[in-house]
Amino acid sequence: MSQTILAADRIVKRFAGHTAVDGLSLTVPRGVIYGLLGPNGAGKTTTIRMIMNVIVPDEGTVRLFDAPGTARDFSARIGFLPEERGLYPKMRVLDVLLFLAETRGVDRRSARVKALRWLERLGLSDWRMRKVSDLSKGMQQKVQFISTVLHEPDLVILDEPFSGLDPVNAQVIRDTILDWARTGRTVLFSTHIMEHAEQICDHVCIIARGQKRVDGTLAEVKRLHGGRHLSVAFDGANGGAAQVFADRRLVAKVEDFGQYAELELTPTVDAQEILKALVASGARLAKFELVAPSLHKIFIDLVGADATRPDARPEVARA
Amino acid sequence: MRKVLAIIRREFVERVRTKWFWVGTILGPLLMIGIIAFQILLAGRSGGERHIAIVDATTTGFGQRLVTQLGAAVPRFHPTRVAASSGADSMLLREVEQKQLDGFLLVSDSLLDYGVAEYRGSNVSSIADKEQLEGTLHRLVFAARLERHGIDTLLVKQADIPLRIATNKISGRKLTGESGAQSFMVGFGMAVLLFVAILIYGVNVMSSVLEEKTTRVVEVLISSLRPFQLMVGKVLGAGAVGLVQLTVWVGSARLLSGAKYRVAGAAAGAGFTFPNIPTTTLLVFVLYFLLGYFLYAAIYAAVGAMSSTESEARQAQVPVQLLLMIPYVSFFALLNDPNSSLAVWMTLIPFWSPIATPVRWGATPIPVIQMVASIGFLVAAVLVVTWLAARIYRVGILMTGKRPNLKEMVRWIRAG
Repeated sequence: MSQTILAADRIVKRFAGHTAVDGLSLTVPRGVIYGLLGPNGAGKTTTIRMIMNVIVPDEGTVRLFDAPGTARDFSARIGFLPEERGLYPKMRVLDVLLFLAETRGVDRRSARVKALRWLERLGLSDWRMRKVSDLSKGMQQKVQFISTVLHEPDLVILDEPFSGLDPVNAQVIRDTILDWARTGRTVLFSTHIMEHAEQICDHVCIIARGQKRVDGTLAEVKRLHGGRHLSVAFDGANGGAAQVFADRRLVAKVEDFGQYAELELTPTVDAQEILKALVASGARLAKFELVAPSLHKIFIDLVGADATRPDARPEVARA
Repeated sequence: MRKVLAIIRREFVERVRTKWFWVGTILGPLLMIGIIAFQILLAGRSGGERHIAIVDATTTGFGQRLVTQLGAAVPRFHPTRVAASSGADSMLLREVEQKQLDGFLLVSDSLLDYGVAEYRGSNVSSIADKEQLEGTLHRLVFAARLERHGIDTLLVKQADIPLRIATNKISGRKLTGESGAQSFMVGFGMAVLLFVAILIYGVNVMSSVLEEKTTRVVEVLISSLRPFQLMVGKVLGAGAVGLVQLTVWVGSARLLSGAKYRVAGAAAGAGFTFPNIPTTTLLVFVLYFLLGYFLYAAIYAAVGAMSSTESEARQAQVPVQLLLMIPYVSFFALLNDPNSSLAVWMTLIPFWSPIATPVRWGATPIPVIQMVASIGFLVAAVLVVTWLAARIYRVGILMTGKRPNLKEMVRWIRAG
């Protein structure tokens, strides 16, 4: 199934003084977990707000469920967790959940059944009649997460769902997102913590300064931007390996430990050529492995320079 | 529509759950009962017995006459004559201190000649005591002076009939049996209730908007409702709470309406009658509360949307509050002269008519044409202001940072 659930086409948002999102396009297929990645101030939140029609793009279009209409028209099919999440502090937990489900078109009776089930699942049953303000930040976040998925939307959009969560609660939310996606639903979430993205994303899109740096499946991105690192070990005889390593047409950088070496390939070379050359040189290989770099490494390589000079936060939006 | 109902429901339920709602709802009728009790207490008080010594330094025997006639004119005064002497003063002071006497009146010949007398006592701040003493003294001196000029005592007595004007409000060619004081009380009560209710519920809408804005709940709501739906839901929800509270207040006033309260043993005429409130007055009151509330709630919603913090909002709402205060502080003028051009203008100007019209209605029949115009203008203003406020609201709820100036607000209104 490769039906497109969300497509943003060259969307632009300018705020007084700077461009927060600059011609960004992205395509989210059905049933994937899609990570929108970028450093602080890259335009992740602005992008999500435009997807949710909370703000209107200056240029470009957002298309949801491959049909005309804005997020508001599909509100029953979309769950949204905003960045600076908040609930009504003086309301009871269960009442907040019922109310928010009602605004998404769920009737109170079935909302109640679902809310109680979710509270049970996330260990908040005993807190259902307490005021939101009595809950810890982590618990509030779980409640907010429940409100995002209570109406069983096809598409869940989460802006920084893990920020401020301790590892245990982050794990709970992460597992819940994975479970959710397994039922064929689509999740789009933003984060600047690559470990989270690496663990659960099928697709990623890395943006910086409002522009896309790379997108695709996690495997594609790793292949395109990684795959230039080789780990080689010898089984006693390394033959003429040293000459192969020294060939600057093949190898950009080498760390040679005798029986073990780590190579960084030149951009044009195919790893197969190195393998051929090594075999030809008479080396006996115990290991020849293309090392996939971590998403973190790719991210730093791609946006590292930008991340050191973040833009001001887009505080004042233009009407 | 179901979504708007959810908003209305939340606003209503969450407000009714607060203890302030219950305190306010119960306090209203209690306050009314309190006023009645206070009035009864006052009425009961003025009937108290007073022991007064008349220190007589007259040479004409007027002092002695005063003692008998004062006792006859005001039964609760018990005068005794004390001949003026050098020791009398300190003796009487001691008696006042020991509460055997309430006070003493010094009279000499100059009372008849120049109308000068002095009263010393522990009850000098009692207006009722002073007025009755003064009134009786005035009549006695008046009669004595005429007699001194040889006018027949009987003639004087006939001329000296105490006069009392009874007030009775005419409404629609019918006597309402409502006295001036009662009309005043109804007008005053309505002015206070309308001012307080419109202000409180308007400010409630404002803080509700602000709460959603600061907690960012609004972003979630806006992704499923149009801003206009959200604003209208809020205004209606908080308004429903106001209506419930006012119904309790007005209902209890209606129950007390026209009831007479007497204290056993109080002098005739003492006691207190709760003003009679006609049904039409109540209808006008509720109608103007609703329209006035819608008008101001929309403005308050916009003010909330423009602000980022509670304190900022409180500052920004001051001009709105002042606008509403104008008819409130002019209620005196409205009651004094309910057909003045000021009163007519206040009936017609939508920002003022919600308070001014019911107050005026309570005091005088308002020409039909003026009522029609007043309601028409007010309804039109509600529509226009709600439209404007919704446009400011729509942009404002997603803004953070500094408050917009007038130019920016105009741009918000024009946008999209």
